[in-house]
Amino acid sequence: MIEMKEFHLDIPVEPPKELESLFLPIPREYVEDTYKKDEFLVLVGPQHPGSGHMRLIVRVKGDIIQEVIPDPGYVHRCVEKIAENRLYIQNIPLVERPSIMDSANFNLGYVRAIEAAMDIEVPERAKFIRTILAELCRIGTHLYDAAILAVFIGHTTGFMYPFGIRELICESLVRMTGARFTSSFIVPGGVRRDVDEKTLRWVYDATFAIEKRLKSFERIFIKNPTVIARLRDVGVLSKEEAIKFGVVGPFLRASGVEYDTRVVEPYEAYEELTWDIVTADEGDGYARFMVRVNEVSQSLSIIRQCITSMPDGSYISEQIGEVRGNFFDKFADIVLPAGEYTTLTEAARGTLLFTIVSDGESNVPYRMRIVSPGWLYLRGFMEALKGERLADLQAIYGSFGYFPPEADR
Amino acid sequence: MKVEKISRSPLEELKRHVGVIQEAFKQAVIPDRVTIEYPRERRKYPENLRGFIVLDKSRCISCFRCAQICPANAIQMSYFENFYPGIDYTKCIFCHFCVESCPTGALASSTLHDMAFKSLEDMKVKPNQMMRLPATIREDVQSVEYDVTKKGWRLIRKMELEDIKVVRILPKLKPRRAFCLEPESCLGCRQCMEVCPHEAIVMERCEITLEGQIVGKGCVLKITEKCVGCGLCVRQCPMKILSLKEVE
Amino acid sequence: MISTLFEIFKSNMVQIPLIQPIIDYLMQIPLINFIVALILWRPFFAVVIIPGLTVLLLYLLYIVWFERKLTARVQWRVGPLEVARPIRGAIQALADGLRYFFQEAIVHKEAHRPYFVQLPILAFIPILLPIAFIPAGNVVGIKSPYAVQLVVAFLALIPITIIAIGWASNNRFAFIGSVREALIYVSYEIPFIIAVISMIYLYGSGDPYVAVEKQSIVPGAIMNPIAFLVFIIAMLMATSRLPFEIPEADQEIAFGPFVEYSGMLFGLVMVLAYEKLYVMALLFVILFLGGWSGFYCELLGDLNAPLWLFIKTIIVISILAIVRSMYARYRIDQAVRYSFSWLIALSIVALVIGIAVGWIV
Repeated sequence: MIEMKEFHLDIPVEPPKELESLFLPIPREYVEDTYKKDEFLVLVGPQHPGSGHMRLIVRVKGDIIQEVIPDPGYVHRCVEKIAENRLYIQNIPLVERPSIMDSANFNLGYVRAIEAAMDIEVPERAKFIRTILAELCRIGTHLYDAAILAVFIGHTTGFMYPFGIRELICESLVRMTGARFTSSFIVPGGVRRDVDEKTLRWVYDATFAIEKRLKSFERIFIKNPTVIARLRDVGVLSKEEAIKFGVVGPFLRASGVEYDTRVVEPYEAYEELTWDIVTADEGDGYARFMVRVNEVSQSLSIIRQCITSMPDGSYISEQIGEVRGNFFDKFADIVLPAGEYTTLTEAARGTLLFTIVSDGESNVPYRMRIVSPGWLYLRGFMEALKGERLADLQAIYGSFGYFPPEADR
Repeated sequence: MKVEKISRSPLEELKRHVGVIQEAFKQAVIPDRVTIEYPRERRKYPENLRGFIVLDKSRCISCFRCAQICPANAIQMSYFENFYPGIDYTKCIFCHFCVESCPTGALASSTLHDMAFKSLEDMKVKPNQMMRLPATIREDVQSVEYDVTKKGWRLIRKMELEDIKVVRILPKLKPRRAFCLEPESCLGCRQCMEVCPHEAIVMERCEITLEGQIVGKGCVLKITEKCVGCGLCVRQCPMKILSLKEVE
Repeated sequence: MISTLFEIFKSNMVQIPLIQPIIDYLMQIPLINFIVALILWRPFFAVVIIPGLTVLLLYLLYIVWFERKLTARVQWRVGPLEVARPIRGAIQALADGLRYFFQEAIVHKEAHRPYFVQLPILAFIPILLPIAFIPAGNVVGIKSPYAVQLVVAFLALIPITIIAIGWASNNRFAFIGSVREALIYVSYEIPFIIAVISMIYLYGSGDPYVAVEKQSIVPGAIMNPIAFLVFIIAMLMATSRLPFEIPEADQEIAFGPFVEYSGMLFGLVMVLAYEKLYVMALLFVILFLGGWSGFYCELLGDLNAPLWLFIKTIIVISILAIVRSMYARYRIDQAVRYSFSWLIALSIVALVIGIAVGWIV
């Protein structure tokens, strides 16, 4: 390796004017310091083909990234504040909207908090139906993230294939619930309607059709040498670093830590089914991607087990009774006892925390707090970018699957 | 379960290249296309698709439940001999909470999901515009169906038109009537009388008795035969002594 | 003076037996015979009609549509369909070009205005000049025994204009794109030149006529398959096609040197890469696939050779269009590393094979 000597020339440097006119969350001294050290700032802003809905302020020396400062908040829609003005049941469509494909998991977290507060017993059949919905949404989210990763590294075929496969997932959700995603199907006590045998057969066949199309995807994208060359050894997070920076979900599992909320604190039907946690050792971009690909096959097997061993029974708890026609009378006026109720759910991108604080008297929540997985692993994402090349910014962004609407709520 | 490691040997790389080229050429020759050329073709949706909402005025009892449950505040009740719901489609999120809340099955869902309106004012649909499906000009000539089997997923095209229909599921509820749980706690505030849209509650003069002795005059409410069980008086009563009961 | 020009034109006309009666009739009319003689004068025909500008425009119209349709077919979708529905959307590129005419070409305040506006037009000079040198049978612009070397020399000038375009835009992303263009230019030029030199050694001269004659039994692709492979990879790198679309990376640096262009200027820079591909494909067909030799049809006469050359070029480019849907984009340092290690090694092997086979044949 030839060592290159750097000579510093002391020329007065003026930072470009646009860095002042855009309201960037960085002080002026930082900008001047950057330009004096012969590095420059690249604003991968909200209007960039490869940035999502946020701005990344990248400090680059030559082609190596020194530091990245995120500027999220463009998609903040005050979900938590709006929830303080709506009835408990009216918040269900509200909390599913931040992460659109993953709506069943957000719905499930909220409804489980209400059930924990009011001690509502959920029958077995409803638990299995909820598990099927959660796993379908998990597969949909992983496919969406794979497509975004593909488009960020320039592979447009890898973008079209997962969205085509996701059409089958949306069709399964239509047959089960009536809406393609954000179905608002899970209510306190169970689900809104029963699912009949013909639909379950269709979903069972659909899992095989999905696997067949995934094989084409595997050959053209997952095992593509250019994709492997782009993602391997890029953005490595070691086990200690991943734990220190608070990374959650499949990105933590890709660094070697075996942690999954569905195993640590099981809920719904996950204890009664046989499935594996997927981990990897290397912690690079390709490992994060492969963990999610294998989780898709695990989810497909969970769905098949749920369908073959679906118990008979009612789809809603006896404390509520039939939903159709009674929806208003049973759900509109629920008042939670005073206190604070927290649930942890494993959303597709990581651990999701819901907290409801109730004052015991009102039929609207006093305070609802959501901590979405995107917000939790943002720090790990920024740390993984240090020392990589500028072109790797999009590759690491895609491998983390950062979704600004979910992180900003 | 551990993710398997990817080998770095050049022979494996060459095999992967061959796999990529094979897949691309196979798709170029026999494509697995799943495009639907809308609007010349329409896809057949299952019956429980949440679409345009249709009202049956003869079943509606003006109970206001749909307007009160809507998470997006999209239902406004408009007065036309009686209160009927009209839906503002600029706000509706198609969650169908209103359809599930309707105790008599007046609101029904349909499989029409792609309506187009000519202006923003047209999107606030009035109750008499919701009585049947809107008139459609059909541009499609054939219909497409998803055929999903264990072998794979393909599209089947048929030369018949997809039929758009209203799916009405009646809830298993018997008609109900309001009744007073504790007539002696009645304040006589007449709020139930004022809020009843069917004028089914009347106030009657009565005598207040205490241990069999008449001690004064007051009034008490009486629920007449006009009551349809909408439940507005139940929510309005400040003493919370009204309730609904099924009628045989 | 006009009569001397007329004599020059008439002595070197393209002979097409199919339309000869019409030409004979038209040559008798006083003014029109001058125009007809000019059009059918062999150098003019080569440069303006085939394999020159008219055919270049038709090729652009075709390749934009074909690439989008082929990529769409691989990606489970249909591609452009609506513009002229009976012919499945074939004139989509014409619709796009008309739209660029109506868009406003914005020149932003920080740009260096003369270079920004004029460089896309100046960039056409090194792209269109080689067409004058490439022969097709008897139809040739300027006949020269060093035609192959001249074409390679002109192709080496194009990246300089692209770097200048990026510099003139005065934008951070355009600057990064220019730097990447410079790096990839350095890395593909050497293997490309060595591959061409190996074929020159094989044929013994840089004259396209000699090259096509020597390929009458076996095409050049079989005589030197390694140079064939190196040329294809260099062609992908030179015209910014995936997997080497690095200077114009759409997601990383927002379209690189061309980020600030809009309107008709954008239309001009968009076709630069396609025209460079056309010229390189013409060279490729002459060196490796037998040039203009093909089966001879009496009726067409002199038009045979240019038509065969054009058809073979179109087939080569159409097959290369599928690479776009197969691969992702490499990083710049990976492209430079692979080029300086693998590609140069392969091209030196091709050079050795070229010298050996040239000595035998």
